[in-house]
Amino acid sequence: MKENTYTSSAKMTPFRKPSPVVDIGLFLLVVAGLSVLMFRGTKTLGYNWQWYQIPRYILSLEQGKLVAGPLIKGLMVTFQITGVSLVLSFCFGLLTAIMRLSASFAARGIARVYLELVRNTPLLVQLFFIYFVLGPIMGIGRFTCAVLALSLFEGAYASEIFRAGIVSIHFGQWEAAHSLGLSKLQTYRYIILPQAIRRILPALTSQAVSLIKDSALVSTIAVYDLTMRGQEIVAETYLAFEVWFTVAAIYLAVTVTLSVIINMMESKLKVVS
Amino acid sequence: MYEKTQGEYIIVVDKINKTFPNGVRALRDFSIKVRKREVLVVIGPSGSGKSTFLRCLNGLEEIDSGSIVIDGIPLDQRKENRLEIRKEVGMVFQSFNLFPHLTVLENVNLAQMLVRKKSKKEATETSMELLHKVGIPEKARTFPNHLSGGQQQRVAIARALAMKPKVMLFDEATSALDPEMIGEVLEVMKSLAKEGMTMVVVSHEMGFAREVSDRVVFMEDGAIVEEGTAEQVFGNPKQERTRLFLSQIL
Repeated sequence: MKENTYTSSAKMTPFRKPSPVVDIGLFLLVVAGLSVLMFRGTKTLGYNWQWYQIPRYILSLEQGKLVAGPLIKGLMVTFQITGVSLVLSFCFGLLTAIMRLSASFAARGIARVYLELVRNTPLLVQLFFIYFVLGPIMGIGRFTCAVLALSLFEGAYASEIFRAGIVSIHFGQWEAAHSLGLSKLQTYRYIILPQAIRRILPALTSQAVSLIKDSALVSTIAVYDLTMRGQEIVAETYLAFEVWFTVAAIYLAVTVTLSVIINMMESKLKVVS
Repeated sequence: MYEKTQGEYIIVVDKINKTFPNGVRALRDFSIKVRKREVLVVIGPSGSGKSTFLRCLNGLEEIDSGSIVIDGIPLDQRKENRLEIRKEVGMVFQSFNLFPHLTVLENVNLAQMLVRKKSKKEATETSMELLHKVGIPEKARTFPNHLSGGQQQRVAIARALAMKPKVMLFDEATSALDPEMIGEVLEVMKSLAKEGMTMVVVSHEMGFAREVSDRVVFMEDGAIVEEGTAEQVFGNPKQERTRLFLSQIL
């Protein structure tokens, strides 16, 4: 199971590797170039950097105890929203994918309408629609609205990924399962999905990363997530540069960590077929 | 041989027709009866409908008209009948179709546990017995992609047998194999035939047909052109088309 896995994409191409000296030299040149540009840009701006102000918005020491600052509190809200939305969006996605592949006209129709509706309207408009229209009608709070909007939106995209994964499995697998007497549900559960999910894990990861980033939009309906907290601090202190750099760095840290974890999972799960 | 030609019919196919959406008529008023313990070998050029016939027998293809009755159960629209037939009819495919994410043992266990509702222990017992029978018990914990084609096909046979089917269908089971592996799969099929399994085999393996088959059917254009014992069909074909076909494959 382990021998045949490709851990590095470099091995998959027949082309020769470039010389390491040239390769690393090129990389350093690009990094140096970008740094110089950045440095000169900020100099001409004449901005008074006040990075020392930032740490207290992340963590502060009060009476010998570490207390989470507003940015960390916001991050926790972002985690809650994306965590619930992630699970829900994969559920919506899987269900929609299976409905689109079903023999029933009604199931295919419903899935199609949902997909087109969600994919062809802006997420921000969907969020406002759910918060300002559905929210009062159904009596749901803004956290629920945020989760609902995000998971419906990302679910539509996830469904296309699931569908691609499912149809990529050779029909012989369906036939073998059929001839052994497995039901459709059992075939999905034990044969098709375990293979499909391994194949679509990279795509699902980038979908999860999108979800984390898109969750910043919930700040528009006054959910106190990481972005909303950032906005709040900027309004108070006018430290736009430092705060937004910090907020971006926190998002980056979260998404990169997620990608790394899933990458590790992937190489463990991989079966070459 | 007497017992086999006198036994009761387990497969009764009456005037089935099948036309594919692209307009190809794969089966035309095709009728055949197979007795219990009989080994039927179906030969014919590609596109003659032999695989379609086989796939109709376990409901992989829907027939347009006619009837199929297997062990007294009609293959009709009733779900419970279809499931019963799928359980009783085992199938071995040209491309093996093993489940690549499961070990050999899990491949053989799966349907026993899900469909026959056996415990893992019971299923494993049966599976190991069958893996012994097909000669690869030592590969139980291996994944299919680490096996040779011949080994994979033998696992596929064990997997089908694990359901204790009354009929086994072989759809060109040796066509995708390297020549040196055909023998090991045919050996397993022969021993199965000798144990009295009812088998419908789509194959051009003459040696197999001569050694264990009770009847050979030559199909063309969705209908039976000629049938008889292997000696009759291979040695002294009556129809010109049969003769022509045999001269091409030899």
